[in-house]
Amino acid sequence: MTSKTRTPIQLQINGHRHELEVEPRVTLLDALRDHLGLTGTKKGCDQGQCGACTVHIDGQRVLACLTLATQAESRDITTIEGLAGEDGTLHAVQAAFLEQDAFQCGYCTPGQIMSAVACIREGHAGSDEEIREYMAGNLCRCGAYPHIIAAVRQAAVEAAS
Amino acid sequence: MTVHELRTRPGDAKRGDASDGAVLADQVGGRLSRVDGPAKITGAAKYAVEQQLEGLTYAVLVESTIAAGRVQSIDTAAAEAAPGVLLVLTPDNFLPLRTATDWLGTPPPAVAYCPLARSITFSGQHIAAVVAESFEQAVAAAALVKIAYDEAPAIVDLSDPKAGDGIAVDAMTKEWGEAETAFASAPVRICNAYNTPREYQAPMEPHGLIAKWQDDQLTVWEPSQWLDGMARTYAEWFGVPFENVRLVSPYIGGGFGSKAFAYGYGAVAAVAAKMLGRPVKLAVSRPQTFTAYGGRAATRQTVALGANAEGQIQSIVHRGVNETSVDGMWVEPLGSVTSVMYATPNFSSRQNVVRVNTVVPGALRAPGENPSAFGIESAIDELAYEVGIDPLEIRLRNYAEQDPHAKKPWSTRQLREAFAAGAEAFGWSKRTPQPRSMRDGNQLIGWGVAAGTYPVRRAYGEAVVRILADGSVEVESSSIDMGQGTYTILAQTAAEVLGVPAENVIVKLGDSRYARAGVTGGSRLAGVMTGAVHKAASAALDQLVGLAISDPASPFHTLQANTLVVANGRISSPRGNGPEVSIAELLSSVGRQHIEAKGDTMPANSTVEDRYKNYTTIAMALPHTEGDYSRHSWCAHFIEVRVDEDFGTVRVSRVVSALDSGRLYNPKLAESQWKGGIIMGIGQALLEEGIVDRRHGRIVNNNLADYLIATNADIPDIEVISVGIPDPHSSVLGGKGVGELGIVGVAPAIANAVFHATGKRVRDLPITLEKLI
Repeated sequence: MTSKTRTPIQLQINGHRHELEVEPRVTLLDALRDHLGLTGTKKGCDQGQCGACTVHIDGQRVLACLTLATQAESRDITTIEGLAGEDGTLHAVQAAFLEQDAFQCGYCTPGQIMSAVACIREGHAGSDEEIREYMAGNLCRCGAYPHIIAAVRQAAVEAAS
Repeated sequence: MTVHELRTRPGDAKRGDASDGAVLADQVGGRLSRVDGPAKITGAAKYAVEQQLEGLTYAVLVESTIAAGRVQSIDTAAAEAAPGVLLVLTPDNFLPLRTATDWLGTPPPAVAYCPLARSITFSGQHIAAVVAESFEQAVAAAALVKIAYDEAPAIVDLSDPKAGDGIAVDAMTKEWGEAETAFASAPVRICNAYNTPREYQAPMEPHGLIAKWQDDQLTVWEPSQWLDGMARTYAEWFGVPFENVRLVSPYIGGGFGSKAFAYGYGAVAAVAAKMLGRPVKLAVSRPQTFTAYGGRAATRQTVALGANAEGQIQSIVHRGVNETSVDGMWVEPLGSVTSVMYATPNFSSRQNVVRVNTVVPGALRAPGENPSAFGIESAIDELAYEVGIDPLEIRLRNYAEQDPHAKKPWSTRQLREAFAAGAEAFGWSKRTPQPRSMRDGNQLIGWGVAAGTYPVRRAYGEAVVRILADGSVEVESSSIDMGQGTYTILAQTAAEVLGVPAENVIVKLGDSRYARAGVTGGSRLAGVMTGAVHKAASAALDQLVGLAISDPASPFHTLQANTLVVANGRISSPRGNGPEVSIAELLSSVGRQHIEAKGDTMPANSTVEDRYKNYTTIAMALPHTEGDYSRHSWCAHFIEVRVDEDFGTVRVSRVVSALDSGRLYNPKLAESQWKGGIIMGIGQALLEEGIVDRRHGRIVNNNLADYLIATNADIPDIEVISVGIPDPHSSVLGGKGVGELGIVGVAPAIANAVFHATGKRVRDLPITLEKLI
């Protein structure tokens, strides 16, 4: 039955095309982590509550655990692995997270960073209050929140200049 | 590879903000950015259950839906017939395991161990597990396992009429003077009850593991705060030698006390892997993390303070209760802060535990000290209002100049300095004392203060330091980094001792094949491991300099020097004469591939058995009052809340905390950890509470949308101030504990601020709006 129920799909991830066979019920999160080895996207709750699995689909932030892999076909998916430049140059948000020590255990961090990139792009990083609100969907149990604010603010200022 | 291998980029190592003056980021005390940071911000860091293995199978747990009773029958037929299913485990086909030694080193009873239950003592207990070719198949088939029960009445929590008074824990009794008599005759008396609910660690990375057998060798990839302790448990369960079990845990997505032990689901995965001859991944689901192991026990305390009219305490009578499970024992030491914070001539603290139908509770950041501080630090605030003294002043009037219980001097206690620095930065002198006297529109403003403390837990450690042919350095330890910064501070320690840039040091952690390490808990790891690495690196340096001086092929051989210096990776004579060569050049000239030194801080006459005991149990941990001193870290929190007068909603708007953790090995990372503790404390004060369905004895809010932890929008900017001084009695390099300290005292500081804002004293956490309107 395993092979019968699997469907071939193509996913465009970080500028590369991946072909895989998955059951229709496989989430984008499990497709990334278990089928493609892209484990940078984290599973914190698997029920859309923590934000650790945040990726971009067509530039919008999306929870990969609430998205079926098949729903993401023929759309542009960006994960944390695709954020830095080809030469390894860190994205401004990544560099700011390192400099501001905006993480401890690192498990929510890929989701925070993907959310932060979108938050700035959406124009929701105009003030600390606004960043707090628009980053509130990404939980961090280590409590790096004030440093996440500092990092997003720093990257937003850099993006604006 | 399973270890962190990314080096910082050139330049990163020097990019501290240098606020601590002359200390280079590379050295102990410098603000080096996390060396494991690049791996974490790029998604390259592979956590334990993210290993990609050939032939991996997926296990999903089936849990009890009743809190007490017996399993009548388990119907596995539909699950076994479901697509992709390889195995359905129940108590009937589970491999016989042995009971393992507990963490105290207590020899286990000679009874079999089965983590799948027929006798049910709490809702959420493991009964069965389904293993399938894919995760989706295992999830679907697990839903097909049908269980019939004989349900019995459950004791759902401490307030259940069936719960009773519990069992006295005599080991918790602390008494001196005539506490009850002195309280009865004190001019000022207050006596109140303080409650804390069940709280959960909720690390962002759920628990789980991958287990793989090869013959009688077991490899377990599992997030772990204690590789050697967990390896011992697995080895004893299966009756294989300790050396046959390898634990791998390169990164840990948060633990907060919950990842120090091998739990029942670990045995399930390891048994399934053995029965199938294939690797098995078992990821505990988020709802299951609320019952697969225990959170903080619910607690009840009464604190009676007798004082004179000047607010000087004459007696403290303290009684505590915590819940434990029906068949397990967890004691949350509720008198731990009560007995050390204030000077009193008369004192009595006793504690009971009460059995209820719950999973056995466990450690959550500052177990004991956290709820203990909520009691005593609320009570002294109440006393301050009773006698009309400023809440900060009353703490200074009752300042304990020595450990009131152990009757020993403090190793260091910068608590007075913490009060002063915190009050100054917060602007405490502008506070008006009357409740409801400060407001901003419809928001009532309250300012509260509370102190916190955590004992210095010490243990022996070991490490391997290796200088490689290219002049780089490796540090190896089976200790771990769950975000406290172990990778970074050990690189700084080795770099400082060896005179090399920190970016040339690779720290390898999280593999039980490395040099042994005890538990990462009780805020002990940094002090233990910097000491061990300092010793190992010093031994490696001695070898290096010895070679340079005495090896006939060394360019320094003819110099006849007594010693040489190594700085920035280059070796030279301290007098400036003679050659200067890199470490790599020296090793090449003397024909050595590497230099290796193992260092440990064990007593010199330690046996092999002592070492095993030291690293796989806590039986050899040193009491914080051992010898001539009593050792603790200390803190003072100053917190502003804003309470909506109409709706009773509480927002924390300002936090200033001054903390004494002794010497900080890396202030940048220590500040982060302190703030993290404070933020968890804000959640504890205002949000966190496991809610029990009284009909079925189950936790109904077993997910991150209903069990509320603080979000970014709940947290203001937080100022932390270090007031510590090096404490040579607490650790080799002078540090005291960091990780647990920050949370201790936050909840009472908020409760005290809420009282100042509203005039309402909430003694029952969390402080939710219905308690204020």
